[in-house]
Amino acid sequence: MNDNTILEVCGLEKSFAGLRVINGVSLRVSKGEVVFLVGPSGAGKSTVLRCMNFLETPDGGEVLFHGKAPDRSEQGLNTYRSRVGMVFQHFNLFPHLNILQNITLAPLKCGLMSPEQAEDTARRLLERIGLAEKALAYPAQLSGGQKQRVAIVRALAMNPELLLFDEPTSALDPEMVGEVQTLMKELAEDGMTMIVVSHDIAFACDMADRIIFLEKGRILEDDTPEELRSSSNARIREFLALRHM
Amino acid sequence: MSCTIKKRQSVLRNLFCFAVVSLIIMLTVGCERKAEAKQTLVVATEATFPPYEFYRGNEIVGIDMDILREIARRNNLHFQIEDMSFDSLITAVQTGKVDLVASGLTVSPDRARQVAFTRSYANARQVVIVPENSPITGREDLRHYRLGVQHGSTGDMYVSEHIGEAERFTNGALAVAAMNAGKLDAVVLDNAPAENHVAGNKGLKILPEPLVEEEYAMAVSKSRPELLEMLNKSLAELEADGTLARITEAYMKDNKPENTAEAHGAWARLKENFHTNFIKNDRWTYLVKGFCVTIEISAAAAVMGILLGFLIGVIRSTADQTGKLRFLNALCRLYLTVVRGTPVVVQLLIIYFVIFGSVDISKVLVAIVAFGLNSAAYVAEIVRSGIMSVDPGQMEAGRSLGLGYGTTMRNVILPQAFKNVLPALGNEFIVLLKETSICGYIALQDLTKGGDIIRSQTYDAFLPLLAVALVYLSLVVLLSHLLKKLEIRLKKNER
Repeated sequence: MNDNTILEVCGLEKSFAGLRVINGVSLRVSKGEVVFLVGPSGAGKSTVLRCMNFLETPDGGEVLFHGKAPDRSEQGLNTYRSRVGMVFQHFNLFPHLNILQNITLAPLKCGLMSPEQAEDTARRLLERIGLAEKALAYPAQLSGGQKQRVAIVRALAMNPELLLFDEPTSALDPEMVGEVQTLMKELAEDGMTMIVVSHDIAFACDMADRIIFLEKGRILEDDTPEELRSSSNARIREFLALRHM
Repeated sequence: MSCTIKKRQSVLRNLFCFAVVSLIIMLTVGCERKAEAKQTLVVATEATFPPYEFYRGNEIVGIDMDILREIARRNNLHFQIEDMSFDSLITAVQTGKVDLVASGLTVSPDRARQVAFTRSYANARQVVIVPENSPITGREDLRHYRLGVQHGSTGDMYVSEHIGEAERFTNGALAVAAMNAGKLDAVVLDNAPAENHVAGNKGLKILPEPLVEEEYAMAVSKSRPELLEMLNKSLAELEADGTLARITEAYMKDNKPENTAEAHGAWARLKENFHTNFIKNDRWTYLVKGFCVTIEISAAAAVMGILLGFLIGVIRSTADQTGKLRFLNALCRLYLTVVRGTPVVVQLLIIYFVIFGSVDISKVLVAIVAFGLNSAAYVAEIVRSGIMSVDPGQMEAGRSLGLGYGTTMRNVILPQAFKNVLPALGNEFIVLLKETSICGYIALQDLTKGGDIIRSQTYDAFLPLLAVALVYLSLVVLLSHLLKKLEIRLKKNER
């Protein structure tokens, strides 16, 4: 295992109500890498992602962060999750808090920053995504694209080493997909390590260092976009053909 | 700059602190009421039984009270009077809530099995009151008509045993008022209060032939022979030196309740009635005092209900969502089943007579605890439904940021849940406020009881009930208005 590995998943297994949905998934993500998880619906992409920060508890296998299994106590998980951010399909902003409060809540409650620091950080991040004037607005007053960008910034405020994205553009109107993808690309260029679950193969090929193709809870292929496109696997070719790749 | 972030949280925190502090203050105030000098005997009575015991102004007076005062003077004691419903008197002395009963209590074999009677200090008859034009002439006619009695009185027992079913009222005045309103054909009552009622109500008469002759005595617990002996000795002295006769005669002559309106014309009569019911003898103070008691109990119980209810609601939801806290959850479910499965009146009586049976504790406190515990059960389920109404993604988002379950619950889930359930919570408070009207069962003088006392003095059902209803209505309208404003304020930012 090389020293640059941030996250490693070994032999991951997960069942829901007796139905095996993840069947021995192993993968490795290095620092600064952008890895996409793709595959048909029900392949288990989101479940793998959610097992990575233990929103789902794996039934078998291991998740290693910097080569160590995170402490699974409540306190241990809180510490681990504060270093591994997550962005959800439906944004999951806190509707009762304004944008500034959405971003500062976790840094403040986790004791990472003073109120002044937290607010400075939040305003700087909002400036960066061009939403500084929305600091005191509430989530309901934002468009879908703006909400998702705020959600990304909210995760960034914790200074994570790794960001998990669960279908970040699937719930957006087509004209809003671009602004979110642009922000994600900027993050990738800044060297953020990212694991992205997506249906959008074009986007994956555009920005991924590696694409992992999942089907029925197994990894069919784990390769660069170029290699994946020339894959000999019939299922992958079929999948790509449907998306005109 | 940072004040924008902290503002809402500090508002919620202040509200919470305010709630806790006010609960503590109310409980302490409730406790202090009880502080009294030693050598005090607590006497239970049902004070709508003229001339033996009745309210004059804010004071309970009557033959029994004068006898007690005389006994107190001669034995260097102090008596503290507790006004409670007649059917609770025997239980109160049995459970040790009070030391003795002096309430025109008739000696009967059934009661003698429960308590020890002193020597008798008065003779009484159970008589029948009927409207002047009534076709009823004697006891033979009674079984075909609608009868009213005072619940738990010997009249009640006699009628049940020898005549048939009667309608049972908490006091004789209510029964007479019901007859005045055409709901009853005859009322069976002790002769002395019956004469008072007939004097105070036009168009009533007492049938010449009494149903039964009987005797009044005081009652103490069977485990207090020394108290019984003291009372017997004193009563014997009072009788021997003529004091007893003097007191009784003074009241029989003296205490004719005021006649109601003589004025002509509807408006003049209403004015006259208003004066009798509220102005005369400062009767409005019953309503004001009752109002304060109702507010004190409702407010403290609401605070207790909220605190406990939120706790239970969160425990239940946590157990549902995470599978932890199984034991606590089972306990909470048992609590909810019991509290929601029994009437609040029964709970109140159990808490007063059984749980705090042998503890000297303020009744206001008992009521606060009873209503608070009751309300908490409903608040808990409201809170749980509120928590379930919040998108599970909110909890995941909080957890994914590194916030703990409790932190996320407090800062993310509960504020949203609270907003969602505010209308249901408001509803619960309104119900709670009105439910406190059963406080009279443990002899608390709340608003409803205040109206009852006025009614028992003026024999007018209409105005006191109307006044009580109007006060409740105004309170509820005000409460709804405040809740509406809070709701709008909380929702303002989200749309």
